[in-house]
Amino acid sequence: MKLTRTLFTGVAALCLASFATGAMADGHAPVCGLATGEAATGDPIKVGGINGNAPPGDFSGGTDAAAAYFACVNANGGINGRPIEYMVENDQWNPELAGQVATKLVKDEGVVALVGNGSVVSMAVNANLYKDEDVMVMASGCAISECYESSNIVSTNQGPLPSGIGALTYAIEELGATNAACIGFNIPNNGGWACDWMNEFMESKGLSGTSILMDPTAVDLNSVYLQALAEGVDTILLMLPAAPAIGLLKVAEEQGGREIFKWVSPTPLYEPGVAEILGEYWNDNLFVHIELNEFDSEGPDNQNWVKVMDTYGQDGDRRDTFSQSGYISAKFFVDAMLALDPATIDRASVTTAIKGITNATSDLLCAPYYVGDADRHMPNHAGRVVAYTVGKFEIVRDCFDIESSYLDPIRAQEKALGITQ
Amino acid sequence: MMVYGLFLVSGLAVGSLYALGGIGLVILRNSTGVLNFAYGAIAAFSAMFAWQIADWGLPGVLSWISAVAVGILLSVAYGRLIAPSLAWREPAVKAIATLGYMLILLGLIGFIWEDALRKINLPSDKVAISLLGVRVTLTRIIAFAVSIMAVIAMVQYLRRSHTGLNMRALADNRDHAALLGIPIVKTETLAWGISGALAGFTGLIFGSLVRLEPTVITFMVIPATAAAICGRLRSLPLTLAGGLFIGVVESMLTLYKPAAPLRTMAPFVIAALVILWMQRGQKLTFAKEA
Repeated sequence: MKLTRTLFTGVAALCLASFATGAMADGHAPVCGLATGEAATGDPIKVGGINGNAPPGDFSGGTDAAAAYFACVNANGGINGRPIEYMVENDQWNPELAGQVATKLVKDEGVVALVGNGSVVSMAVNANLYKDEDVMVMASGCAISECYESSNIVSTNQGPLPSGIGALTYAIEELGATNAACIGFNIPNNGGWACDWMNEFMESKGLSGTSILMDPTAVDLNSVYLQALAEGVDTILLMLPAAPAIGLLKVAEEQGGREIFKWVSPTPLYEPGVAEILGEYWNDNLFVHIELNEFDSEGPDNQNWVKVMDTYGQDGDRRDTFSQSGYISAKFFVDAMLALDPATIDRASVTTAIKGITNATSDLLCAPYYVGDADRHMPNHAGRVVAYTVGKFEIVRDCFDIESSYLDPIRAQEKALGITQ
Repeated sequence: MMVYGLFLVSGLAVGSLYALGGIGLVILRNSTGVLNFAYGAIAAFSAMFAWQIADWGLPGVLSWISAVAVGILLSVAYGRLIAPSLAWREPAVKAIATLGYMLILLGLIGFIWEDALRKINLPSDKVAISLLGVRVTLTRIIAFAVSIMAVIAMVQYLRRSHTGLNMRALADNRDHAALLGIPIVKTETLAWGISGALAGFTGLIFGSLVRLEPTVITFMVIPATAAAICGRLRSLPLTLAGGLFIGVVESMLTLYKPAAPLRTMAPFVIAALVILWMQRGQKLTFAKEA
């Protein structure tokens, strides 16, 4: 299954523009880019996006939202009159395909940047390509170390490391955790990488931590649970995608695990649909650190994200954290592009403009977003904690930053850029 | 000691799922000569269909029955529409063809049901007993009991019934069975149906006990095949024992931390060791090719 979506079409933009103009009058229309209400008709600017949408997961939320936002921008004056031609490729979690589609976008199509990327495989395979071709990737769905330790990739989502430490911070400070098991997938530079840093964090606090890594296709979740029991931990950090995390919670429910452990998780468990299937057993006993804001928060950017998706999204577009992340990545990208002379936009000028982003703010984020010229990027490392209660998630701790020596080089960048998080 | 008990019980519960899969494979292999790699995909499709029925608000009983019915339907569809044209081909060709069917079913699942969080809840999930310190739900007990009952029932069926005799004849020699006037298509359809029913049931239980993820259920066929190899692709009791053994070994490896991340290798290692054991004392010869 190959999904290639080219969003720019003058006709579509004109149709959407006429619709948006009408909707804008009643205050329900999204606000995008120049917000002129007139479709951009100039020479298109090519922008790429790569997602991973195949078993074992759908990481297309970021590119879906970026596509919707770019469609909205195109219907509202574009980049000073030039529309964005957004080309999305699906790497299907296949390393060979990930290399092919990135080469196609970067070398053959000559995109000026990639935005909204959400793919574990593509980041690992293509980090060097992006660096060699000096093209920036404003990603939305990263989960492996390469994504945060590359000069040309900057992601709006936190990934497992900061979000996991955020969840553990809450567990220590509010739940009294002293010994935590980090249960993650045995995927290179994912579960082991993140869980090692969880353990380092626990040790830095004079506490104990242990990693329990499992194969992504592992069937026997009961043994994973029992291993945590045998380790004698008092807290379980679910460093897993939502589906296996729910499988493990079901096993824990069978075994009365709510009374034995404190349960915390990074963002993946904060996903539409989770609250509906968890059940009352977990009321006030499951705490999730979220990287962006709540899906129903009243902030202007979150509300605009909802409107953009309602107006310009496709049926079946995901509306998860990656989607919020894709929206805000696309917004920051457009804001940077609007400062450029439209006649001279090329890859070099766009790369410079993206690296020049600093102190960009949004209610979706707890702290300013920035890029800078560095060998690694992790602008988002402050988040919130929500608790599962009576069929929904509610904020129990608002924005707070994490502590980890992993962030030392990041803090140095922020200091140099004059950013305080 | 108590810890070992915990992991033993846990391993038996998962092993019974492997055994169920292996039994379905062996039943089919015995009568049709087909090693059905699409078994897991049939189970996954059945589980997803059962979830869909429940999601539409229809009674739970209908949902459970539909899982078995869809398993039979998908299995028999392949058995009647595709398998006959490959009946005289080599076993490897027959097996590879089922891989194609597996991919078709996986594609269909992805087309019909977009990636989302789903859960199958069975009433038996809420009932449990404590065994060696582990709470064992009725669903797990059902999976274990059905795997044993399936072996007993099938062994008796193959020994005592007329159609069972036909199946054994087909397994021994398809050409001779045809010459004897055994209704091959009818007998094979029955075998595909039984195997499909087991796949549907396994998918339903698997979706409840493990997780309702089509790919995870589909690739359950791997440890199930390992269990079937333990039974030399012929013996149902040995397949049952193999499935349970694989489940217990996988579970016990969790106790040894350096080996814990590698425990999904257990089915392959055990199957390889069993093959080596079965080949003991034999010399590699190409005499048949001469």
